[in-house]
Amino acid sequence: MRRDRARSAAAARDDGLRKVSRLTWRAGAAGVVCSALIAAAFGHDVATGNAGARGSTGHRGRGTILIPAQPPAPAQGSGQVNSGAS
Amino acid sequence: MTAAAAAVTGRDTFGVFGTTATLLVTDPGSLPAARRLADGELAAVDRACSRFRADSELSALNAAGGAAVGISELFAELIDEALRAARLTDGAVDPTCGQALAELGYDRDFALLPGTPARGTPHGQPPGSPGRFGITRTATGHAAGHAATGSAAAGHLAGVPGWRSVLLDRDHLRARLTGGAQLDLGATAKAWAADRCAEVIAAQLGCGVLVSLGGDIAVAGPGPAGGWRIRVTDDHAAGPDAPGQTVAITSGGLATSSTTVRAWARDGQRMHHIVDPATGQPARGCWRTVSVAAGSCVDANAASTAAIVLGAAAVAWLRDRSLPARLVREDGLVETTADWPHDPESVQPPPAPPASGPPAPPPAPPSPPAAGPAVPRT
Repeated sequence: MRRDRARSAAAARDDGLRKVSRLTWRAGAAGVVCSALIAAAFGHDVATGNAGARGSTGHRGRGTILIPAQPPAPAQGSGQVNSGAS
Repeated sequence: MTAAAAAVTGRDTFGVFGTTATLLVTDPGSLPAARRLADGELAAVDRACSRFRADSELSALNAAGGAAVGISELFAELIDEALRAARLTDGAVDPTCGQALAELGYDRDFALLPGTPARGTPHGQPPGSPGRFGITRTATGHAAGHAATGSAAAGHLAGVPGWRSVLLDRDHLRARLTGGAQLDLGATAKAWAADRCAEVIAAQLGCGVLVSLGGDIAVAGPGPAGGWRIRVTDDHAAGPDAPGQTVAITSGGLATSSTTVRAWARDGQRMHHIVDPATGQPARGCWRTVSVAAGSCVDANAASTAAIVLGAAAVAWLRDRSLPARLVREDGLVETTADWPHDPESVQPPPAPPASGPPAPPPAPPSPPAAGPAVPRT
């Protein structure tokens, strides 16, 4: 009788451990899925933000004024063209 | 001749949008094809947003009386860019300023305005050739004008309705103007077109290219050794050695805004074409000319125009955004921001005194309006 009770308790414990383990895996998997979703959702904005910080012609950042990939360099003599008002 | 100059042997200059276009390519054999591509892009932009073509999409939108209008993808892109410039400059660059400018007297071809300094017929354009995008560039006479002209004649001062009165639905390609707004894309369309031409030419021909539309400059592709040499000055039509500074860029764009060009006198007051949207009046800041380098020409142009409007606050505004810029005060002193190269020939303002020193002198007041173009030169 006592042995049966011990066996039943062990089975209940194993069953509980299996449930906890299953829950842990599910929670982990859900975490991975959520992370992927969040990365997909915000990754686009991050990329846009980087482009806005510094980029080349044709990839305009929507949320900021693009700074040039390279700042103007000093040059000598006259210019090939003028930049002035028209 | 420098190595950079020797590397560029393809050059074409032609009139467009009431100003001068210059096309430089690193492969001279590509020049005819580059010109054809540029002509195609510029014609498409003209069809979309010329104020002075009855068949343009912009004319149809302005004449719609506030009703929603179906628009092309290109026109949607141009409106979107104008609204983006307004948003990023906190409204300092506003596509609804056109009507205010007409009310200030700039309601016809610039050469026909009373009180304008003699400047000659510009840049290979036939006399009276209109600026296509808006009165902020040049305008035709009343007969070919726009609704703003009529309202101004009736004495109605509409001012600046504000860029939020322009409603754009890009998904369904529809636009609507509220509050009596009249759209004028003169502040962004030309610079956007320069970007577009440079991108298309570099992508299709594989060469380095510089496109200048009235001094709004975009470059793309592999440039010449040392970069493209650009003279920043008040007037893009000035000579190659005009007062200013020469710099070299390798990507993106460079634009200059100035109050010294397209200025006229009205009732003894000096007017110019850069309107402060907050007042509906010509910007009365402390800068006469601002040049900005940015990742694109349209961004550079938005920043340089905003700087004129912002006045003394422009230096901090540009520095906060890490934008290299050269700002020329009305008295000729030059300030620079970010990584703009030092110009040993320019007159710099005195350095700020240390915090423990005597208080800083007050900033130079803006120049009083003058009835002529007499402004000091660097």
